[in-house]
Amino acid sequence: MKKLITALLLLCAYAFAESPQAVAIRNAKIVTVSGPVIGKGTVVVRNGLIEAVGENVPVPADAWVVDGEGLTVYPGLIDALSTVGIAGAAPAAATATAGRGGRGQTTTTTATPAVAAAPVERARGPEDRPSTTSWLIAADEIQAADRRIETVRSGGFTTAVTFPTRGIFAGQGSVIDLLSGEKSGEMVLVPSVGQYISLSRGGGGGGGGFGSGFPGALMGYISYVRQIYLDAAHYQLVKDAYAKDPRGMPRPEYDRALEGVLESKRILLPANRLVEIDRMLRFAAELKQPAILYGARESYRPEAAELLKKSGAPVLVSMRWPEAPRDANPEDVDSFRTLETRDKAASAPAVLKKAGVQFALYTDGLDQPREIQRAVKKAIDAGLSREDAIRALTLSPAEIYHVADRVGSIEKGKIGNLLVTRGEIFDDRTRVELIFVDGRKYTPATDTAAPGGRGPVTDDPGGNR
Amino acid sequence: MSKARFTKAWLAALIALAPLSAETIVIQNATIMTVSKGTIKGSVVLKDGKIADVGEKVMVPTGATVIDASGQYVIPGIIDCHSHIAADGGINEGSVSVSSMVDIRDVINPEDIAIYRALAGGVTTANILHGSANAIGGCTLPLKMRWGKDAQGMIFEGATPGIKFALGENPKRAGNPQGGRGATATVQARYPATRMGVEDTIREAFNEAKAYKADWDAYNANVARGEHPIPPRKDLKLDPLKEVLEGKRYVHAHCYRADEILMLIRVADDYGFKIRTFQHVLEGYKVAKEIAAHGAGASTFSDWWSYKVEAFDAIPYNAALMTKKGIVVSLNSDDAELMRHLNSEAGKAMKYGGMSETEALAMVTLNPAKQLGIDNRVGSIEVGKDGDLVIYDKFPLSDYAKVQKVLIDGMVYFDRDKEVSGRAAKAAEKQKLIEKEKQNQQRQQPQRRPTGQGGQAQ
Amino acid sequence: MKALGILIGCAIAAAAASNETILIRNADVYPVTGAPMKGVSLLIQDGKIADIGAKIVPAKGVRVVEAKGMRVYPGMLDSGTELGLSEVSAVRETVDTDELGTFMPQLRALVAVNPESEHFPVVRVNGITSVMTFPSSGGRGGGGGRFGGGEAQIISGQAALIHTDGWTWEEMEINRSAALHLIFPAIAGRGGRGGGPAPDAVLELFGATAGAASYTQARRTYEQQIAKLNDFFDDARKYQKARAANAPGFQRDLKFEAMMPVLERKVPVAVSASRASSIHDAIAFAEKQNIKIVILQPRELGKVAAELKAKNIPVILGRVLALPETEDSAYDEAFTLPVEAYKAGVKFAFGTFNNEFVRNLPYEAATAVAFGVPYDDALKAVTITPAEIWGVADKLGSVEKGKVADLMVTDGDPLEIQTQVKHLYIRGNEVALTNKQTRLYEKYMGRP
Repeated sequence: MKKLITALLLLCAYAFAESPQAVAIRNAKIVTVSGPVIGKGTVVVRNGLIEAVGENVPVPADAWVVDGEGLTVYPGLIDALSTVGIAGAAPAAATATAGRGGRGQTTTTTATPAVAAAPVERARGPEDRPSTTSWLIAADEIQAADRRIETVRSGGFTTAVTFPTRGIFAGQGSVIDLLSGEKSGEMVLVPSVGQYISLSRGGGGGGGGFGSGFPGALMGYISYVRQIYLDAAHYQLVKDAYAKDPRGMPRPEYDRALEGVLESKRILLPANRLVEIDRMLRFAAELKQPAILYGARESYRPEAAELLKKSGAPVLVSMRWPEAPRDANPEDVDSFRTLETRDKAASAPAVLKKAGVQFALYTDGLDQPREIQRAVKKAIDAGLSREDAIRALTLSPAEIYHVADRVGSIEKGKIGNLLVTRGEIFDDRTRVELIFVDGRKYTPATDTAAPGGRGPVTDDPGGNR
Repeated sequence: MSKARFTKAWLAALIALAPLSAETIVIQNATIMTVSKGTIKGSVVLKDGKIADVGEKVMVPTGATVIDASGQYVIPGIIDCHSHIAADGGINEGSVSVSSMVDIRDVINPEDIAIYRALAGGVTTANILHGSANAIGGCTLPLKMRWGKDAQGMIFEGATPGIKFALGENPKRAGNPQGGRGATATVQARYPATRMGVEDTIREAFNEAKAYKADWDAYNANVARGEHPIPPRKDLKLDPLKEVLEGKRYVHAHCYRADEILMLIRVADDYGFKIRTFQHVLEGYKVAKEIAAHGAGASTFSDWWSYKVEAFDAIPYNAALMTKKGIVVSLNSDDAELMRHLNSEAGKAMKYGGMSETEALAMVTLNPAKQLGIDNRVGSIEVGKDGDLVIYDKFPLSDYAKVQKVLIDGMVYFDRDKEVSGRAAKAAEKQKLIEKEKQNQQRQQPQRRPTGQGGQAQ
Repeated sequence: MKALGILIGCAIAAAAASNETILIRNADVYPVTGAPMKGVSLLIQDGKIADIGAKIVPAKGVRVVEAKGMRVYPGMLDSGTELGLSEVSAVRETVDTDELGTFMPQLRALVAVNPESEHFPVVRVNGITSVMTFPSSGGRGGGGGRFGGGEAQIISGQAALIHTDGWTWEEMEINRSAALHLIFPAIAGRGGRGGGPAPDAVLELFGATAGAASYTQARRTYEQQIAKLNDFFDDARKYQKARAANAPGFQRDLKFEAMMPVLERKVPVAVSASRASSIHDAIAFAEKQNIKIVILQPRELGKVAAELKAKNIPVILGRVLALPETEDSAYDEAFTLPVEAYKAGVKFAFGTFNNEFVRNLPYEAATAVAFGVPYDDALKAVTITPAEIWGVADKLGSVEKGKVADLMVTDGDPLEIQTQVKHLYIRGNEVALTNKQTRLYEKYMGRP
């Protein structure tokens, strides 16, 4: 038994996928998320789907068996808002501002000019459709060779909801499984799950100078989004009238920006402060669009949780918890507001859970497994139960994006996305042993693509970051 | 606990927890400067958010909270006609010269500390305006300084919305970037670059708005006839201008020089709309006749001057002179600091130009209320108006006076005594957080190890 | 010190153009240094206050000003302005305050004063008869001046004490080198400046500050700058020695020449320093270099107040009507700074540090009174106290026999907004209380 495991572990030097017809993980603890924990059981995956899971499930003769003694099986983690797979994309961050390098972003940090969505022409108004690529679908932009796929997967993620994030209407996100391979098409679960909207150019809000074109101020961004939806409604009216009877009517101009907006089932809106949460919920109601708020830094405040509960809008909570500066003037003291946010931010998930708000956690650009583990642990330490933390990274995001019939828990018929750990997930000393994506087996990468050389994850549980 | 005691305790808790409910308040024994009906020595009764009674002798309703204001002064809540506080994400949409599509209403920030500080300076209503970077700026609205409420709770309900215009140096600045205009310049210039172009920009916008209005009027006429045409495309830029043409939205025009003030009056005449207020209007005294004839109000500084070329002919007698020529004049701040002492700024109108006490006080109360069309609700101490009041310890039109209490809608929103005595507790609470953070940092120190990228080391 | 006094006296005397003798009759005289005298007369002669008394019989031909019901005060002194050096603050061509260069003690504000500046007649209307005009007076921690460019300046030049009236700057001069202006190095602050959230607040939460170096770096830069400052003073002392020895080959260096009176403690150094730690370091620096200092525009006193008191270092308080420094600061933080100084026994005077607001000097004092400073001390802070601080108390700052006749005659309390100045005397000359603004008012009142 142990020999088998050792053999498997010796293969850890390289991350590669194996695709046996059937895999059975036997005698492991199984956290299904959708049901009670199975203290000792077996899960069988065949042809990429979960064939069976339970206490007394027989192991098929042709299955590749993993001895689950001392191991725990979880559903593969789902990152509810990611840019993994889109080459050259800046990490999705509702709080991103310039000059934050060195926060563990190993691969792409700054946006490469080649993928610049910003038009060369300075926008003179909403009619120029500034920073709008609403027709872009992440599924079309996925590059299977993106090294971040492997990095994130090594932390236990099997699925990501990847969005283009550059621009005001950045485009439509797709649910993808984190497979390493050549064909990006095989990764896609759902090609379009919502339109990513941002209300800044990624340099902070701040005054609307003439330099970068319309819009410049926050009120400009909001008015632009409003105008697009008015235009879309009008466009649809005209299109419908034309379709009914084109005779005598000038034909409506094809507008791919509006097409992109009309085909998006829901929108993602940024909201961190309570004021912003209030503002965006109202805005979504005004636009009559189902909305998901992302960021949610101040959702630890009871008023925020109440607003979210009343609206029924799901919220994606960023795991990038604010930290105190390490090199600060000892004479200076941050404002009470800042101190309180730093103190309470990680308790947001617990507060939302208690209030009955539908939420998921997302990595917000963190891709190093150790960083992610620590971030989740912080939320657990601040009051979120481990079960709820697991759910916030599995079944909850699946439900939010309406793919809970396919992923998010270990149930017969769902996709074979599994995370196998030695130790309880999110604990400091826990090691990711295996990851199954669509039934394909992966081992966590030891040396990630990090320049600056981090040591192997497996032989230094304390991490050396 | 026995049932009776439980009920009592529960009631007591309930009462203790009812802070800002509309209780009945009587402010007694004060010198009350009503602005509209003279100054009396007496009391004010506030009930259900409104002024229920004011006079030398009033009936004190049972259960009313009594504020003894002996030796103190009561004035109507101060109204600042020109402010940029409480707005998120930039006060100027400076990328385009006509930015009427943006609206301050979308970016109200009720947690801006400037609101509290204004309140502590006696301001109860502030007209929040878009900045002056554009010939035609964004939509505006007045807010009440209801510190603690959410964004919607700040809005002065029912007030006519406004739009900001700007004339003079500011809206043409982007047309004259450093390094010169023209194709070789590193920064593209934005039209207009001169005062001539500012007029053209405004005329062009209203030209478009007229056509837009015609489209919508035609559409509405067709619908009234029972037809079902496709409506015209709703244009957020032209909608507010259409409203201006229809008299449904007030124009607040930032201006300095006499020539540009006159220019805008003539443009408004041509297009058939009225300018509600000229803002700053530092040379308003030169064209007071024309402003009065047009019927616009003027909202100006008490004595700011010389900071720009167009402010060089500013005189502190501006407010008095314009008043004498028949214009409704208010004094504003356009500044988060100045708005904290508009009471003493009003006093300057007495010094420069000999305004009376009442005339001077009106410039920061009833006159801005009239200009904003909210004088049915605020601006003077009269029965039926909102309970927006300020209590000063001394004669208000002076820097010797300190705000003691501020009430809005009949509720105390600022109390100097409580504020001062509460400081120690607030400081202690903050200190606790500081200590906690320090401990957390110390605990994490040993794990710190340098990484290649100087990053996440926790 | 005596030599300096004679020099100043000569300067003032030379500037006294008129020999008009004036009798102000039946006024209430407020000397500021003593109890008010009701219903007395005051004789101005040869530019000085010749006599104050109940019964002064004017000689023939003496102009009599009936002042029944009016009050006579010393003309006010604003200890922090750029008057004459800056006309329209947004227009670079009209501004002469910020020169390039790190150590520029040889620059003299006096010679750049434009006597025709419209600001002088404007401030005279409110009773300001003399001001300190500073090179780079806004300096709160350096920076390359308002219009950018240049490295952080530390010594900006010699501030002048001038009358607000005169045909030339020579006539206006009271003391051409009343103080050397030093902008003490500072480390930028955090803590959430009050008003408005968004970018700064977000960056703060994540431990970064827009564009700023880390504290360690900032601290290092700060210490380097102080070291450079000490080096400069040490070099000045070396020069002083060489100069005294008159060694062969000795060459005059204008910068160091300008430092001589400072090293000899004849000219004080006005140090712009706002934070308590900077003030503390500035005091230490002054001790080390054995120079006299005055602190300009402190924004916090706290523990350093006791130090200031112990070492008899006066402060010039900036605008009292100012916003608090951080989001959590008390709303009346700036209003109560004067009373904090007063309670700590620190000598203080007021300065407005913005030409546009110099005429509101008395109202800054009134605000200080509202928040606790006794009236008499507030009045002193715009009259005799600055005269003492700038070393001219034997000539100016109070209504006493023998002093220069810089007087304002008012119809009431000068700190009260509604009070009007009825007559103004500078060096014994009556100055017309008209200016461009009064003329425009009259002109347009008369528009048909």
